[in-house]
Amino acid sequence: MKTTFSIGGIHPNDSKISKDCKIEVLPLPEVVYVSMAQHLGAPATPVVKPGDTVKTGQVIAEPAGFISAFVHSPVTGTVKSVGPRKDLAGNNVTHVEISVEPDQWAEGIDTSDTLVVEIPQDNKFILDRIKACGVVGLGGATFPTHVKLCPPPGKKADCLILNGAECEPYLTSDYRIMLERSKEIIVGAAIMKQVLGGCRTVIGIEENKPEAIKVMSESLAELQKTAKGFDGIQVMSLKKKYPQGGEKQLIDAVMKRQVKSMGLPIDVGAVVQNVATSLAVYEAVQKNKPLITNVMTITGDCLPMERQHNYLFRIGMPLSYIAQVAGGVPESAAKIVSGGPMMGKAISNMDACTVKGSSSLLYFTDEQTRRKEASACIRCGKCADACPMGLEPFLLNKYARNGMMEELEENAIQDCIECGCCLYSCPANIPLLDVIRIAKGDVIRIIRGRAAAAKK
Amino acid sequence: MTQTIIWTIAIITILGAVLAVVLFLVAKKFKVEEDPRIDQVEKVLPGANCGGCGQAGCHAFAQHCVESPDLGACFCPVGGNDVMQKVADVLGLKVEAKDPMVAVVRCNGTCENRPRTSEYGGYASCRVKASLYSGDTGCSFGCLGCGDCVSACSFGALSMDPQTGLPVVDQDKCTACGACVKACPKNVIELRKKGRKDMRVFVSCINKDKGAVARKACKAACIGCGKCAKVCPFEAITVENNLAYIDFNKCKLCKKCVAECPTGAIHAVNFPVIPPKPAAPAPKPAVAPAAPEAPAAEPVKKEE
Repeated sequence: MKTTFSIGGIHPNDSKISKDCKIEVLPLPEVVYVSMAQHLGAPATPVVKPGDTVKTGQVIAEPAGFISAFVHSPVTGTVKSVGPRKDLAGNNVTHVEISVEPDQWAEGIDTSDTLVVEIPQDNKFILDRIKACGVVGLGGATFPTHVKLCPPPGKKADCLILNGAECEPYLTSDYRIMLERSKEIIVGAAIMKQVLGGCRTVIGIEENKPEAIKVMSESLAELQKTAKGFDGIQVMSLKKKYPQGGEKQLIDAVMKRQVKSMGLPIDVGAVVQNVATSLAVYEAVQKNKPLITNVMTITGDCLPMERQHNYLFRIGMPLSYIAQVAGGVPESAAKIVSGGPMMGKAISNMDACTVKGSSSLLYFTDEQTRRKEASACIRCGKCADACPMGLEPFLLNKYARNGMMEELEENAIQDCIECGCCLYSCPANIPLLDVIRIAKGDVIRIIRGRAAAAKK
Repeated sequence: MTQTIIWTIAIITILGAVLAVVLFLVAKKFKVEEDPRIDQVEKVLPGANCGGCGQAGCHAFAQHCVESPDLGACFCPVGGNDVMQKVADVLGLKVEAKDPMVAVVRCNGTCENRPRTSEYGGYASCRVKASLYSGDTGCSFGCLGCGDCVSACSFGALSMDPQTGLPVVDQDKCTACGACVKACPKNVIELRKKGRKDMRVFVSCINKDKGAVARKACKAACIGCGKCAKVCPFEAITVENNLAYIDFNKCKLCKKCVAECPTGAIHAVNFPVIPPKPAAPAPKPAVAPAAPEAPAAEPVKKEE
């Protein structure tokens, strides 16, 4: 019996056009620009200055707070400048500019492809490695992984969930790594499982990826036969439904537990990590390889089959460079999105560079993306049916437009996960999420302010 | 029939009398002593309840005035000095006259000066737009043009100019309540001194990018060259983060900086026009004639 989350959800066409494109390694550009804000939390502080020579994998920025992460040089070369540059939304972020020379890896990094199955026993060593290698969650939020793997005192993880749902249409990068790097992902999962105290581990994959389920199950069985530390890991097939990859939805689907409003997954004993994060953990712990690469999908309905790609990129590569290597931007593309079509962001600046969490370049035609004119709400309730958090978006929209903060809080606007199901399902094309997202930020600020005042 | 009417009237009358007595006693018992001056002060206030003074409304402001030992921290921007003088009279306090202020839009990124690089098709609100990206032009600091300031203004002093895509302040209607300043997510609008005979000089740009970047994004951008600061005899101009700022308390309206600015980012408004001079600086922010459509930028950079 396949499971899924209990409320709401939608079924967009999954359009996994590039699923059969093998992962290709992108050639290096002449210059890379490495952003200091590649993770949730405080931007990292650069520790290099113009003129310095850096090796691939060398630390170039240190965390600037508890929730922050190391940033490493993705290339070997000379630092040309450290200064503001525009990110993909056009806002200024500090970048380190490095001119590229032939690759020379920093010392102590294992660049071979050999699979290392033996897991180190010292948990502190593992967490230090994860932190030192700058590993962040690659499922979208880029939350520093070492913080997530240290549950606050008094809370214990009952289940580690590996997120292989990849419920966003078009994206195939997680799918490809599950096919091509399955064993590494499972070893990464076993490492995190050990750090969390040997809890049950579930790798959740949606049923529309039967190949991935098959390969992952086979690799798991093989590892369980030949090595220790892989008991209690299972692959679970999930029904296809968006947003299955949402943290709270996945916990509901796998564990049948609901995270309370404003709560964290650890409150119900769950830790959720993306499969790509698991791979990064494997590389960090077993190979001492910092997180400087990730896989991204270049796709779109307007791209011919031979121009669909899954690329292994390094951080700091300009998006325009990647688009050009991939055969250029198609004529009919009217909008380029980074991330999935449901939650991703449109790119207004193609000179922006890849970051740890980059997952795609999606090309959409004008017809596919232009918003239709909004008409009046007829209270059909489709948005409320679709909301996976059980909210009533039509009501929140109305309150938000009138600035009714108390009512918004009573109706749990702070629980919105910004998945876009309401917007997708609205027959009147009302920009529900646009309005709700802003009001949600306001309400959360009010709640935090109140909590801070209560502490004093 | 007659009896019913009489009874009804009698009962209602008695009931009314009893309830009136109850209400009287309750009001007597639970009476809240309020300073009578609060009502007196509230009467002289404009009654717009705009919140420009920082209080929740005119009554709250009146209460604030009465409770404050002096009126130094109280100012009703809508009523201005006249009203504050009346408030001071009521309370028997002294008040210093403040310079009248006006909202100033510090962006001259008209459609002509600042070509579009992408197209925004989302919800028409500056706050929503600002949360998604830096804007549909190369400038990540300037006006977003969705008119949040216009809807925030309770006095009808702001309007969008369809030709420039920028808000225009009607200085006669503007009360400097500051609602637009708060509404603008980019902090484009500033409250500045209205100036002698309404004449004022200000830098109509807040772009902190380096000169070349700023210039590329907008023809009328401040490039932070510092020429204005050098030429200013009163040290009223500071250049910080590639951006000049004129301190309106120090500016003596000599307009030397206006003539010096290479991009025309410094605006002087309401100065009398002297016709014979060949190259008199434009007295008002130049309103671009119907701007030709910007050369089709890369079609890819469109934004939801």
